[in-house]
Amino acid sequence: MVTKSAEKQQPSPSASGKSATKWIMTLLSSSLGQKFVMGITGLLLCGFLVVHLAGNLLVYVGADAYNTYAHDLHSMLLLPVAEVGLFLLLFAHIALAFKLTSDNRKARHISYHEKQSKIEEPPSFFGKTPMGRTSSWMFLSGSIILIFLIVHMIDMKLHLNPAVTYTVETPEGVIEADPYSIIVQVLGSWSAAVYIIGTIILGFHLSHGFWSAFQSLGLNHPKYTPWIRKFAILFAAVIAIGFASLPIWGLFIH
Amino acid sequence: MSETLDLTLRVWRQPGADVAGKYVEYKLTGISTHMSFLEMLDVLNEQLHAQGDEMIAFDHDCREGICGMCSLMINGQAHGPDTGTTTCQLHMRRFKNGDTIVVEPWRAQAFPVIRDLVVDRSAFDRIIEKGGFISVSTGNAPEANAIPVPAPVQETAMDAAACIGCGACVAACKNASAMLFVSAKVSHLSTLPQGKPERSSRVQNMVAQMDLEGFGNCTNTEECSAACPAEISISNIARMNREYMRAKLCSKE
Ligand code: HEM
Ligand code: FES
Repeated sequence: MVTKSAEKQQPSPSASGKSATKWIMTLLSSSLGQKFVMGITGLLLCGFLVVHLAGNLLVYVGADAYNTYAHDLHSMLLLPVAEVGLFLLLFAHIALAFKLTSDNRKARHISYHEKQSKIEEPPSFFGKTPMGRTSSWMFLSGSIILIFLIVHMIDMKLHLNPAVTYTVETPEGVIEADPYSIIVQVLGSWSAAVYIIGTIILGFHLSHGFWSAFQSLGLNHPKYTPWIRKFAILFAAVIAIGFASLPIWGLFIH
Repeated sequence: MSETLDLTLRVWRQPGADVAGKYVEYKLTGISTHMSFLEMLDVLNEQLHAQGDEMIAFDHDCREGICGMCSLMINGQAHGPDTGTTTCQLHMRRFKNGDTIVVEPWRAQAFPVIRDLVVDRSAFDRIIEKGGFISVSTGNAPEANAIPVPAPVQETAMDAAACIGCGACVAACKNASAMLFVSAKVSHLSTLPQGKPERSSRVQNMVAQMDLEGFGNCTNTEECSAACPAEISISNIARMNREYMRAKLCSKE
């Protein structure tokens, strides 16, 4: 294996030199650095979800409350900056998800004939294979969330849902419909099915992702980690039930 | 429970590193339940030898669970069904008469198969060469109490030092990640005062070599720790992540 090991030698420290940006590049191209970015972006996206859910639950209060909220939000000067930031967070999270997942598939280039978990867990649909755990499905759950997000952008940003009338005719001409009437139409359209599936899958993503992010960031402590893991389940359930309730309300109750 | 077992073994056979392999089935009769798994393979090899067939190559050394040489994916589990156990310490009483047992080598890009069930784990050695040591000038042994090490710190370091470097963590991880192994070595040395001087360079160099070898990335599924014969905790991985970020962001190295 002499030849193999020779290929895998790092450049000697003297050859690498130290420039102002080099350490950042090595950090961001390392496995640990990328997991770190994954964790930070994941947690910041969780923060966005809380704010987004709180705002959207105002549809239950009524049309006026919701329209005022939407109007105030959109008159904020810094909203475009926040939206760009949010987009960058998502972009980094998704790009790294594809990169890391493809690395991981390469690292296990030949799969096992048989694979069983040694983790003690109540019997699941998947028997003793690791597939009964949400951590095995992060890329798949993420991809479903991505599909949901694309549908969501078509509905709410691009205004291209064919089942929704985004404008109203008034004596003064054609103007944009108020946010409440748009959201009610969207939540009553076919998209609602995607929303229900997408947000429930988001819950599964977070039930592992939330605590996993702390672990990736090195935030592990015998006193707090058990609580973080319990909180992750609670948080995931609140987010999933909170968001999924909206399309269910739109389809069946409203 | 019967004292002897009749078994079907489905074993990965691969004559060499760059040759295609396949599963071959073997029937075994009269295997004593008191045998270890490796002794059972010895019996099979004797039979193969008597028939003039190639024997099955597998790694082993101490056969007492301390050297980390034995391996094997047994029915989809690294080191077989028991927790905290190496293959050499696994006994045939864990199996039932008539069982079919699938035996595979560790599967990882970074652990290429050399022959049959033997894989090349020298990637681990190259990682150790990058920092799995402390540099001390030799001389008289220092006074034992000169450097106080609190008991909880000793325990953390000793728990991490229990790693025998067998590679079960890589084998069990769906991403073939070596982070449990590397984190055990980093934790063992960086928690002790003797390891502190090289703390920053150690973690950076070891992680860089780990990446270079083509191991996967941890997704915190905890399969590594569950499969580990030394029961190394994933809290070591968090410590390595911390050490790494501290070194990258706060040290001059
Ligand atoms: C609102 C949207 C999302 C939120 C709040 C979110 C949150 C999280 C969190 C907190 C983590 C844990 C990070 C870590 O383990 O360090 C994570 C991991 C991950 N996410 Fe997302 N995510 C979202 C969308 C997506 C999307 C669209 C994808 C696309 C494919 C995706 C794929 C992944 C993958 C592959 C992982 C890594 C799994 C792991 O390392 O265990 N996520 N996510
Ligand atoms: S042969 Fe030494 S640990 Fe199994």
